[in-house]
Amino acid sequence: MNRKYKFHPGMYELGENEKFYSDMEARGWRLKKRGGSLSRFERAEPSRARYRIEVYSPPFLEHSVLPEEKIAVFADCGWEYVTDCGNLHIFRAPEGSSAPEFYDDPAQQAETLKKLKRDAVWGWVPTVAVWAVWLFIYLTLNGAGKFAAQFQTSLVELPPLFLLAGVLLLQALYLRVRSAWIITRTYRRMKKGIPLDHSPSKRRRVHRAVSGSLRAMAILCGALLVLQLIVTRSTDLPEETADPYLLLADLGAAGERTSFIGRDSSVTYSPGLLADYWDMREYLDDPSGMGPALYQDVYRLRFPAMADWLAEALMNTASLSRQENFQPMEAPGLDAVWVSHRHELVAVKGNMAARVTYLPSDNFDPQLICAALAERWTAG
Amino acid sequence: MAEQHPMTEAMYYILLALLKPGHGYGMMQRIRELSGGRLEMGPGTLYGVLSRMNREGWILLTGEEGRRKTYAITEAGKTALLAEYGRIKRLAEDGKILEEVGK
Repeated sequence: MNRKYKFHPGMYELGENEKFYSDMEARGWRLKKRGGSLSRFERAEPSRARYRIEVYSPPFLEHSVLPEEKIAVFADCGWEYVTDCGNLHIFRAPEGSSAPEFYDDPAQQAETLKKLKRDAVWGWVPTVAVWAVWLFIYLTLNGAGKFAAQFQTSLVELPPLFLLAGVLLLQALYLRVRSAWIITRTYRRMKKGIPLDHSPSKRRRVHRAVSGSLRAMAILCGALLVLQLIVTRSTDLPEETADPYLLLADLGAAGERTSFIGRDSSVTYSPGLLADYWDMREYLDDPSGMGPALYQDVYRLRFPAMADWLAEALMNTASLSRQENFQPMEAPGLDAVWVSHRHELVAVKGNMAARVTYLPSDNFDPQLICAALAERWTAG
Repeated sequence: MAEQHPMTEAMYYILLALLKPGHGYGMMQRIRELSGGRLEMGPGTLYGVLSRMNREGWILLTGEEGRRKTYAITEAGKTALLAEYGRIKRLAEDGKILEEVGK
């Protein structure tokens, strides 16, 4: 192979990048192109070339193209232009060249880093501002309670997604803080007249450990997410079940199974880290065309202490009722039940929790549903 | 004329070099000659100072050969250079007592 791609150091680590490209050339790989996180190399005679990076921040809204004349001046001094990536422009001086360093005084070079430093330190503001506005609009429209409740139910149903999001957020935060710190330190040193270290020693053990473990955690969470999605099964609803959800037949309704607006009677089962979760819907045929329909979200929690917390969230995210519609009800065999006049109820017993919606309303009998749930959950 | 700020060494030598119009490479060679080989100017410094002095009107673009641009010093540049030379000369003269003290 005459071509090779390798991850390069981050854009704020100027000295590390210069050393990286020199080291690669010493091993017979000459830099051809620098991309977002990978650099492309081509086979060449191993040689001890020097690489230097010129940071050029163009005026607002202009492309970061180094002026031709600037390239010519650098070339006159023995610096060959290799490639660029964003604001970084990479030059090379071959082995034995007496090309002088770019700047006589490091303070002059510090001036070229100003914009890069500003971006590294403040670049996160627009992104965070957009998210904050989005969140504000969302919360205003939906209410903070509902938002939190949706968050809670999703967390119970698909924990790896939240773990992954959390790890990725942590990773982004870490990289941001680190870049800002590195470029600010480089800038301050140059301002004081200390030249850039073009061949820094490898002292990045802490960084390697932190970023390595964050990456490993992200991969692990991603794998858990994929695993949960793989084991999640959607099937036709069985005629009888030992699973902890009810069928319309358990509630005395009879008739042929049917579908409604293209959705069949079905159950989705998803075993997860915090709970096993069943999401079922069942429709029965009726001459009126409005036969009974049953919807349930049933959770078998790993930690019974989460049951009340989840019940609260289930009331808050009910599709037909608002949280204030739910009133507590006594039901033998269950720990707690809340019923809404809009034919929905939320029930809890030990580590089990469920939200049941029964349509049409004439046949909604909370006591009957609770008795059936109590029996099913005790048997289970 | 208001008292001008002291020039940096780079500005002073580039203006001196441009008494004869020239482009980047020529300038660097002349600067090396003028300074007796003491000054090896980096391309970043050279380009930065050229852009700044061009904006200030101390030097002028006189021609282009391919991507190389040729510059020459302007009247304003000469005035500034003379003023700086005068300043440095005064500094040196004022410092002459050192030669007696030093002995």
